[in-house]
Amino acid sequence: MNFRHQNCVLLGIIHSTKMKQIAYIPHVADVCLEIKGNTINELFEAGLEGMANLLSSKVCVPHEEVPLNETITLTSIDVTALLIDFLSKVLTVSYVDKAVFRSFDSLEINGNKLVAVIVGYSVKEFDEDIKAVTHHGAEVKKGKEGQWETNVLFDI
Amino acid sequence: MRVPAYVYAMEEMLDSLGRDKSLEQLVNVATLPGIVKAAMAMPDVHEGYGFPIGGVAATRWPDGVISPGGIGYDINCGVRLLLSDVTKQDIKSNLDNVAQALFDIIPSGAGRGGDIVLETEMLDRVLQQGVNWALDNNYAEKDDIRYIESGGQFPHADPAKVSEEAKKRGHDQLGTIGSGNHFVEIDEVSEIYDENIAQSYGLQKNQIAILIHTGSRGLGHQVATDYIRIMMEAMPKYGITIPDRELACLPFNSNEGQDYYHAMAAAANFAWCNREIVTWRIRKSWSNLLGISGGSLRLLYDVAHNIAKIEQYEVDGEKMKLIVHRKGATRAFGPGHPEIPQRYSSVGQPVIIPGSMGTASYVMAGTTKSMEATFGSACHGAGRQMSRTAVRKIVEINDLEKKLNKQGIFVRGSRRGLSEEAPEAYKDVDLVVETVQRAGIANKVARLKPLVVIKG
Repeated sequence: MNFRHQNCVLLGIIHSTKMKQIAYIPHVADVCLEIKGNTINELFEAGLEGMANLLSSKVCVPHEEVPLNETITLTSIDVTALLIDFLSKVLTVSYVDKAVFRSFDSLEINGNKLVAVIVGYSVKEFDEDIKAVTHHGAEVKKGKEGQWETNVLFDI
Repeated sequence: MRVPAYVYAMEEMLDSLGRDKSLEQLVNVATLPGIVKAAMAMPDVHEGYGFPIGGVAATRWPDGVISPGGIGYDINCGVRLLLSDVTKQDIKSNLDNVAQALFDIIPSGAGRGGDIVLETEMLDRVLQQGVNWALDNNYAEKDDIRYIESGGQFPHADPAKVSEEAKKRGHDQLGTIGSGNHFVEIDEVSEIYDENIAQSYGLQKNQIAILIHTGSRGLGHQVATDYIRIMMEAMPKYGITIPDRELACLPFNSNEGQDYYHAMAAAANFAWCNREIVTWRIRKSWSNLLGISGGSLRLLYDVAHNIAKIEQYEVDGEKMKLIVHRKGATRAFGPGHPEIPQRYSSVGQPVIIPGSMGTASYVMAGTTKSMEATFGSACHGAGRQMSRTAVRKIVEINDLEKKLNKQGIFVRGSRRGLSEEAPEAYKDVDLVVETVQRAGIANKVARLKPLVVIKG
């Protein structure tokens, strides 16, 4: 979701809407993300945004800055692994391209397969050195309120 | 559980053990196919993913499993200690300058690269040769090699088993420390516990020493990520099920198991080369700043604390070749072991235990008992006990900086990184080390007090 604000484009960071929720839970050695979404796609959006927030607090980019697009195609053993593998892939691309990807241009999820185009902007530095997206405690499932949810633990 | 789970801890540590999932994780480790004797936790144990951090497990070679979770994402994260010819008194007036000089010369920070940027062919040589690449390219001193675990070069490395993505992540990160709990520290030897071993190591009271803590950076992280995924997909083929996905594992002698081992070895070589080049930077800066009066910086030892090694032990009267996984645990070979340098043969391998910023670090010596009890392993540090969020809430960065300055500690690094690494976040390193001492798996040789801390 983009907004026009003064001299820059604000990459709207929405931590909680009816559609998706992102929360950061204390964990001894790492950072734990709790995410929810009304649909699987929204869950993946929340995961992408939640990780992007860790990598960089940069929310305002100059109008003239050209966004970066990356296509990601994945097949995993199940939807939980698909989410972790997807975020891992984004993390890799982020460090290789020195960019932070916060949103999708397109996202198709079919069971345990994914095709996505992610959108991001280059950064001069990262706020956090995320070693990896781990499978620890991750389980994509429907919660009591009917939303898709899971925790994602990042090794910092 | 296929074997028991052993925890090395003093009574006063037991309460904190129950506060996270480390014990549950240890029990899960004890279910690994081919595991031998016991799953073990060192006194600095805390919750990790798959294995707890501070965990040791050995599986039967060649068909027991190898598990990337038993090594960790930061393959060959480790520590080395350099010994100087000067005392605190000699450089007291220059400490702030030294702090700044080191901060300026050592690339640090989240995801940050350095000035050594390698094309794939050259990077492959680093992955193959480890610290010997640094030597061939004038980034190392020849004498260092014998004082690095495995001579700084794993012979089983195969760069072809490291993905292109891993190489892209690591191609500009040689000679950098990263961020988080990685650091360079200037210490003073504040106490000697064993004069005989200290003499063999070349340690003296009031001597200045330099501690370096870093690993394989993004390259190693990616290798671990790649192979956890590969193993998760391949496990059904081998009939393996596990209680935790981060324990993904395969028989060591499977194609995928061998691929991981060779890739892990390559990443380990990158890390040894990395620490050697950080050392080169420090030596250069030290010499530029202090001149002849600064003397030289000799490498005491370099130890890995996230690695898997093929080692031989006697278990229930039978000599066995084992795949020893150390995740947040340090090798602690005792006297007479052929793998330790001749100079230390009579006293045992140096075991370097970094504490937290503002407390203390230790030099210990490996023992014969460790070979019998813990597959030649000891703790690796203080062990984290508080989340980054929690410690940021209770530690105010200005107060922390004042407190450290009052203790005579000069600090350089990102302010957020400093608050997250405050001493309150860590267990009592004195207690951790005392536990190891009382268990007989390593002996205290010297205590180091920090004077300068550089964090990413």
